[in-house]
Amino acid sequence: MTVIEIRVELKKGVADPEGKNTKKTVEALGFTGINSVKFVKVFEMDIDAPADKAKEMGEEMCRKLLANPVIQNYTVTVR
Amino acid sequence: MSVDRLMIKRDVPYQIYDVDVLSATDEELKELSAEMGLILALDEMKVIVDYFKKEGRNPTDIELQALGQAWSEHCCYKSSKNILKEFVFAIDHPDVLSRGDAGVMVFDDDYGYALRIESHNHPSAIEPYGGAATGIGGILRDVICMGAQPIGLVDPLCFGPIDTEKELPQGIKHPKYLTNGVVSGIRDYGNRMGIPTVSGGFFFDEKYTGNCLVNVGCLGIVKRDELAVNYAGGPGEVMILFGGNTGRDGIHGVTFASADLTSTSDEDSRGAVQLGDPITKEPTLHACLEVNKAGLITGMKDLGGGGLSCVIGEMALDAGCGADVDLEKVPLKEAGLAPWEIWVSESQERMMVTCKEENVEKILQIFEMWDVPATVVARTTDQPRTRIFWEGQPIFDMDLEFLTGGPVYNRPYVLPKVSTKANEKFPELPANNEVILKLLSDLNVASKEWAIRQYDHEVRAGTILRPMVGKMNMTGPGDATVLMPVQGRWKGLAAAVGCNPWFCEEDPYKGGMGCIDEACRNIIAVGARPHAFTDCLNFGNPEKPERLGEFREAVRGLGEICKKLKMPIPSGNVSLYNEAPGGIHILPTPMILGTGLIDDVRKAVSADFKEEGNLVFVVGKTLDEMAGSLLFRKFGGVEGDVPAVDVDNLIAPHGQDARSYGQVSGQSMPRLFRRRTRSGSLRDVHLRRHRSRYRPQGDGIPRDREETVLREQHQVDRRGQARERGRIPRDPR
Amino acid sequence: MKAEDVKVCVLRIEGTNCEDEMAYAFESVGATAEKVHLKQLTGQAPLEMRRSLEDYDILAFPGGFSAGDYIRAGAIFAARIRSAIGDDVKAFVEAEKPVLGVCNGFQILVELGLLPAKDGSIMDPVPTAALYNNDSARFECRPTLLRNDNNGKCVFTSSMKKKQVVMFPSAHGEGKLLSMDENFVQKLEDNDQVVFRYVAPEGEETKYPWNPNGSPSDIAGICNPAGNVMGLMPHPERVLTRFTHPDWTRGYETEEGDGILIFRSVMEKLLR
Repeated sequence: MTVIEIRVELKKGVADPEGKNTKKTVEALGFTGINSVKFVKVFEMDIDAPADKAKEMGEEMCRKLLANPVIQNYTVTVR
Repeated sequence: MSVDRLMIKRDVPYQIYDVDVLSATDEELKELSAEMGLILALDEMKVIVDYFKKEGRNPTDIELQALGQAWSEHCCYKSSKNILKEFVFAIDHPDVLSRGDAGVMVFDDDYGYALRIESHNHPSAIEPYGGAATGIGGILRDVICMGAQPIGLVDPLCFGPIDTEKELPQGIKHPKYLTNGVVSGIRDYGNRMGIPTVSGGFFFDEKYTGNCLVNVGCLGIVKRDELAVNYAGGPGEVMILFGGNTGRDGIHGVTFASADLTSTSDEDSRGAVQLGDPITKEPTLHACLEVNKAGLITGMKDLGGGGLSCVIGEMALDAGCGADVDLEKVPLKEAGLAPWEIWVSESQERMMVTCKEENVEKILQIFEMWDVPATVVARTTDQPRTRIFWEGQPIFDMDLEFLTGGPVYNRPYVLPKVSTKANEKFPELPANNEVILKLLSDLNVASKEWAIRQYDHEVRAGTILRPMVGKMNMTGPGDATVLMPVQGRWKGLAAAVGCNPWFCEEDPYKGGMGCIDEACRNIIAVGARPHAFTDCLNFGNPEKPERLGEFREAVRGLGEICKKLKMPIPSGNVSLYNEAPGGIHILPTPMILGTGLIDDVRKAVSADFKEEGNLVFVVGKTLDEMAGSLLFRKFGGVEGDVPAVDVDNLIAPHGQDARSYGQVSGQSMPRLFRRRTRSGSLRDVHLRRHRSRYRPQGDGIPRDREETVLREQHQVDRRGQARERGRIPRDPR
Repeated sequence: MKAEDVKVCVLRIEGTNCEDEMAYAFESVGATAEKVHLKQLTGQAPLEMRRSLEDYDILAFPGGFSAGDYIRAGAIFAARIRSAIGDDVKAFVEAEKPVLGVCNGFQILVELGLLPAKDGSIMDPVPTAALYNNDSARFECRPTLLRNDNNGKCVFTSSMKKKQVVMFPSAHGEGKLLSMDENFVQKLEDNDQVVFRYVAPEGEETKYPWNPNGSPSDIAGICNPAGNVMGLMPHPERVLTRFTHPDWTRGYETEEGDGILIFRSVMEKLLR
């Protein structure tokens, strides 16, 4: 059993309105000094497979569904 | 804690306690009520003790919890019922088809329309996004369980000033944060469900800073022969629970809604805020309408306040029977919930249908097709009792009349002091231009387009007049929205909100009438005939005589004008205890959603100026009634008269027959109607200019507060011809 | 072939929510439209409810928030189609049967690789474009003016005049068409794959709000290289009659709405 973490984030240069919006909102709550906010998606998966196989599966999932290569990068790490 | 000694755990593998109320002292009963989160008064606890004395046993924790739910203000309207009975319940009308979870009115010979508005104030003050979203979910279910397809959402909101720089008390969230969160919640739930958000409103005032108001209304359309009821068909029927699973989210929502917010509400009440899931809900809508259309069910009801505890009791009681429940069959979100938690949880997206035994399989198959989980959990009986079993063992056995009877109070009230002309102090005003700019820049007048355009207001392709009208991308707010509920039929349904908390604060009676009046004129202004209302009555703590006095006077105003207009209020909702930490109460806020009918939507009239050279008319009298006006608020005016409603003029202006405005517009004469608003006609004329780029001629803006009418002759001819040439898309049905 | 013999499959899953008006749009030009759940095509439904894609003449993906738009708008619907009936859909497109995607439907077509589709390919294995968040960072519901920039390849605009301007309303949060290819727009142009561009009223520059999402080159709708698959963000099915146009009270020439042109075009093509 392996737990992998899949991190899907926007490519450099792709605008991040969700991050921008979040920044605005936390500032509305009174937090100051926020330089930047980046929106990242993380999927945690518990897979019945050895580490290398699980990682491979995660990458395959990214290619098939979880990331759109036009706008997103992904990394898969074994936890 | 001292009440521990009263809690006797049963020796079973699930969590159930017998509660020794029979030996408890008054102090212990009070503490028990607080400890268990029942929010029942000592007198109410004593009534419960008496009941169980007669039963010859102690109650279980689940029985006490069920009573806490059923006897809450939210469920049994104990402070408001007598007042509502006196003034509004009695108004009858032959067009009322149902007064169920939503009211249903006649639309045409084949269809009825459903209407309902309710509040989701306290959850939204704690978690604005989830609170607002689940509010939408709840109101949609009320309409769906009439067998109606929802066709429009309406969401009037009240917040503190979003630009406030004041230090906020602990536990209070900034109005800007709340506003953004609520708007996002409405957007995401409404848009995902594919139901257009067609009307609403924003009201900003200091008094809402600690307790915002999130009112959500919904309209639906139903074939009259498919109109559903919200109760079982009789004994021996099966109850099927479907939709979402049951979890700890939303436990104690109704008792929470029936107490003031406190500075620790934030932490304490997270559990009372429910999580919404529009994507589970969307197929549920289809499944509900399908089982109803197929004639497989006898009744359908939403699990709202009080969860299973209320829905099973009410569906059985209203059918004159009782129910046996197998509580362990209820599907859960997480293991380990105590029976009482399952019984009172208000998890979202859950509904119940009742049906005859022979239809169970067919119904389950339809739910399966839509991927909607459904489970048989109970059966109706011919005994007037609710009995609950856990794997066959009885854990609950109560008389339904007692359980749902609940106390009703005539609490003491004092009539509010009313503003009058005699005490009026007219403010010192700066130069006219400055006055105008200051009024136009007020939060209550400034454009709300940023929010309105985040809501899909035309999904379902039936929106004839939108919330924003005028030239494309140069629009301003319209009066009422007009929908075409049935594709291929030109008959229309108009919807508009009426509310003026400032009037209500200065004079709740006139203010209450004014809310109905405003909704009516909004509807008349688009060329429709006002037809019915639904109300959400948001007030403060009814145990304070001043607050209850405001409530009583406002309800009296609503009731009297509706009686004169002969228009019913077939559904509504009361939200009391709207107070912030420190006892700051909200403005008295009766929120009215009015509906109107229009025989041919192609004759609807929009509010924008159409062409240069058009004449502008003022209809009605302009009187010296300045109390509660934006001008007085902004520049320090004091008291004055609150505008009285001239009901006779509203019914038959200028001696003509009913709704003559509607008649005029039916002939395509006027190019626009415009009702008065908070800031009077000054703002109106400016808005219309903005929408149309035409500047009204004349040396002054009329100082009226009444409708203005603009008419223009050659436009009429062009439209008249166009109508002859056009074709009506065919109805596939 | 008679009009009512044209069978339209209006495909949906949970969260699809514009199927009623989409079906009604095809019905109003005489076709026979059926709202079909994806499970009915994948054999996961009771026998009498099962359907086969090849029995239909037109496939339509309506708007909505299929599967909640989780992961990315349209991604889950696309993944389910690809895994269960990918070959059927490919065969449908290869047979040059018309496929229409509106709003979320367009997003699904892009995620499915049916649009924009590289030269010579029918269905790319991974998306080659993306419909990304609006520049305004929020959902926008507003009227948009569109110009027909197609030179005749697209079957859904064949009875429209070239450069004709129509009003279809937009209502989306993710409508900005992006590609990794620097010459993306040029290639679309060369292939006659551009169908609709957002435009401003005469004499005004096309910028927000006339282009509601910031889509490069103001592109609102495209078709595949063969012209039988079209996706667009604005909603033609919402304006079948003039009285759902936003400005009809300011005067009008005909009671017909602009949106009907899309459905009439494809019917004329099929019935020819």
